[in-house]
Amino acid sequence: MTTKEKLKQILVEDLNLEDITPEEIEDDEPLFGEGLGLDSLDAVELVVLVQKHFGVEIKDMEEGRPALQSINTLAAFIEDKQE
Amino acid sequence: MNLLTQPVAIQGIGCVGAFGRGAAAFVEAMQRGTTAPQYHDDLHGDGSAYFPAFLATTDGLDDYVPKRALRRLDHYSRLALLGGCLALDDAGISADQRDRIGVIVASGYGASATTFGFLDSVLDDGDHCASPTAFSNSVHNVAGAYLSMQLGIHGPNLTLSQFEMSVSAAIYNAVCWLQQGRVDTVLVGGVDEHCAVLNYCYRRYFAEEIEPQRIEPFAFNRQTAIPGEGAAFLVLSRDPKKSRYGYIDAICAGHVEQRAESVIQRSPILLGADGHRNSGQWYQRCVGNPKTSCSAVYGSLPSGQAFDLVAAALMVRDQQCHAACDRIEEAAQIRQITSIKCASDGQFGAVRVSRWSGKGR
Amino acid sequence: MVNRIAVTGIGCLCAAGNTLDEAIASMLAGERHGSAPRRFTTTHADTFPVFSIAGEFDDVSDRDMLRTSRLGLAAAHQALAQSGWSLETLKSLRVGVCMGTTVGSAMNNEAFYSDYRQGANPSMTPIDRFLASNPAAVISRHYGFNGPTQTIVNACSSGTDAIGLGAAWINAGLCDVVLAGGADELCRTTYNGFASLQISSSVLCRPFDRSRCGLNLGEGAGVLVLESEASHRRRKIEAQGFVLGYGSGTDGWHLTAPHPEGRGLKQALAEALAVSRVRVEQLAFVNTHGTGTRDNDRVESLVLGECLSGLPFHSTKGYTGHTLGAAGAIEAAFVLGFLQRGQMPASAGFENMDEDLGAVPVTSVTPFDATMALSESLAFGGNNAVLIFERGEVS
Repeated sequence: MTTKEKLKQILVEDLNLEDITPEEIEDDEPLFGEGLGLDSLDAVELVVLVQKHFGVEIKDMEEGRPALQSINTLAAFIEDKQE
Repeated sequence: MNLLTQPVAIQGIGCVGAFGRGAAAFVEAMQRGTTAPQYHDDLHGDGSAYFPAFLATTDGLDDYVPKRALRRLDHYSRLALLGGCLALDDAGISADQRDRIGVIVASGYGASATTFGFLDSVLDDGDHCASPTAFSNSVHNVAGAYLSMQLGIHGPNLTLSQFEMSVSAAIYNAVCWLQQGRVDTVLVGGVDEHCAVLNYCYRRYFAEEIEPQRIEPFAFNRQTAIPGEGAAFLVLSRDPKKSRYGYIDAICAGHVEQRAESVIQRSPILLGADGHRNSGQWYQRCVGNPKTSCSAVYGSLPSGQAFDLVAAALMVRDQQCHAACDRIEEAAQIRQITSIKCASDGQFGAVRVSRWSGKGR
Repeated sequence: MVNRIAVTGIGCLCAAGNTLDEAIASMLAGERHGSAPRRFTTTHADTFPVFSIAGEFDDVSDRDMLRTSRLGLAAAHQALAQSGWSLETLKSLRVGVCMGTTVGSAMNNEAFYSDYRQGANPSMTPIDRFLASNPAAVISRHYGFNGPTQTIVNACSSGTDAIGLGAAWINAGLCDVVLAGGADELCRTTYNGFASLQISSSVLCRPFDRSRCGLNLGEGAGVLVLESEASHRRRKIEAQGFVLGYGSGTDGWHLTAPHPEGRGLKQALAEALAVSRVRVEQLAFVNTHGTGTRDNDRVESLVLGECLSGLPFHSTKGYTGHTLGAAGAIEAAFVLGFLQRGQMPASAGFENMDEDLGAVPVTSVTPFDATMALSESLAFGGNNAVLIFERGEVS
């Protein structure tokens, strides 16, 4: 499973987005606000989920904000840190 | 009893438990006398078997609230939200009539499964992987918050947690709010959920007891409790014309030993006795005839008095004792009934429901 | 609120001091006793400072109970002693107890649960203790009171709600006397929870400051003895202060974030001002919730500007940390103490104004002449609560 696929699965399962499937999430769709509709509590939960599933630390929201824009940005952040 | 200068009208009721959801299911179960508890095949970590339990489902909640809005709600909040929706629906209060409504949620244990879910996140993956979603959903007022968010109720919002005394205290506040005109309507109820740790506590605390097949509320000296879960809500109004079930016209709280005389009633008593021996002794001392109880239907749970108040409202409306009664011939016509809940230390909370308000009650 | 309610006794313990007088003296002197947690450890990379009760405090009961309940009982003991009531007299009255808490009603013993998960047949002592520790029930039981008791779990506004609802019980004629307040202890679970939400600060908190970066947790308890004005007159006891009004409102917005325009807070303010028949310009100062998180202080600043413009304000969280369910009660005790003394301490931790907020709390000990003040609490779940107090007859 690619990082992006794994991320989509995590979003749907761990954030309980029961009304959509992982395949329906676009790579460049904004995660927050108008896009997927995630909120500030999801943002901090995602930080924990990324740590738990990928062993990658997002120190704080200053570092997190640019990474948490979309599946594309988050996958790039994770892959960059894993190298 | 504190007689209320201004009795409060019961405008609506809603309940969900192992017996199903809504008044009809509840009455049917009371008349049948019991609900069958569920038996899990699972074992606890130490190899002990699960205790039987009365479990509730929240199917159909998405009739009231969009599925997406429910994504973070755990079972505890779903139970409360469903109970609240049913009660508002029953009261005929639509989404555009929710000004000047207060919300009071009483819970003995709060969101216990999520509380342990948060500890799971810490124990599984370490302190730095503690789940913020689980933490925020484990705060006791979470159900009250979802009732406010999902139903658009912005009035005073209160959550109480004091084991068996939670529901009685909730009624004290509801009466205050209505008398003082803070709000015109109060959505007040109780909710508790079953969870693995609670089940394990039953197994441990009652290891020496015979496992009960059913709750026997009048067997005061025997341990027959079977844990239950669910939510039960009342819609109370300060407008006497809005009564559809009757009125709460007297309340009382204190210690059975010091205030027992004030609980003496000529009216029937609905005992909150739910099979726990440690509170049974106090119920035994509550005076009043005849005595009835419906805990065998919803199970043993600290906020069980909320179910009793819903039952009292239904009995007063129908002028009929739907539940098991120690002296059935005297319970023929229920016009007034007092719900009493006792804690293991002898504290009690009593709430009287009457068919009529004002003179001649 | 139809009538003002007399406060005839005040009990308070927190990191700033183990009595109200001690706490006020240390705050006026600008002392801040934050440190790393002493009673538990964690594996976080950062340490988040907390405000612990210094040393031992009076143990009123020798029963096994949660620290939270012991703190609450200690505060109740102080308050009762000051009130001049004899226990004999109180036993013949309807005495209610209203306590706010978070930890005191949570069955979250980590050691027990860890053992349970591992099938280790844990001792039931932590559960016994939890069941014997409900903060309101503990107080009522200890003194043998006869009346309604309630533990309020409205998260961080619980202490303020407890006092407002206790006063309402007296006004409604349901009780003669009410002990009302809140208690909470520092707890590993809460510490981990706030860390996970990324709203814990790794430095001493800076409410309203440009560089504020979160809250510090604290512990303590506050309890007030409330009775009707007629009752305190009859007893010829000088009132420590008065509760004039209470209001609450709900955001109905988000589980953890406050409503961006402070919807529920404004509603709570409007209700408290209306029932107390107090005009904003009569108030000496505002005790804010002021936790030091980005969101809380932003919303409070906005509402201060719109509804309480021109009033001096401060946050005492920089001296006590955020004591959660106890915060509103401890701060109620402070407000009454400041009103008695006619001065308020600086808002600890504030140095530079945040241009986006445009709000500047008092930065030094500030004297005032007015006799009334307002205290606000905001909570998870969107609960907001406000109390208005008046100076008592003691000085």
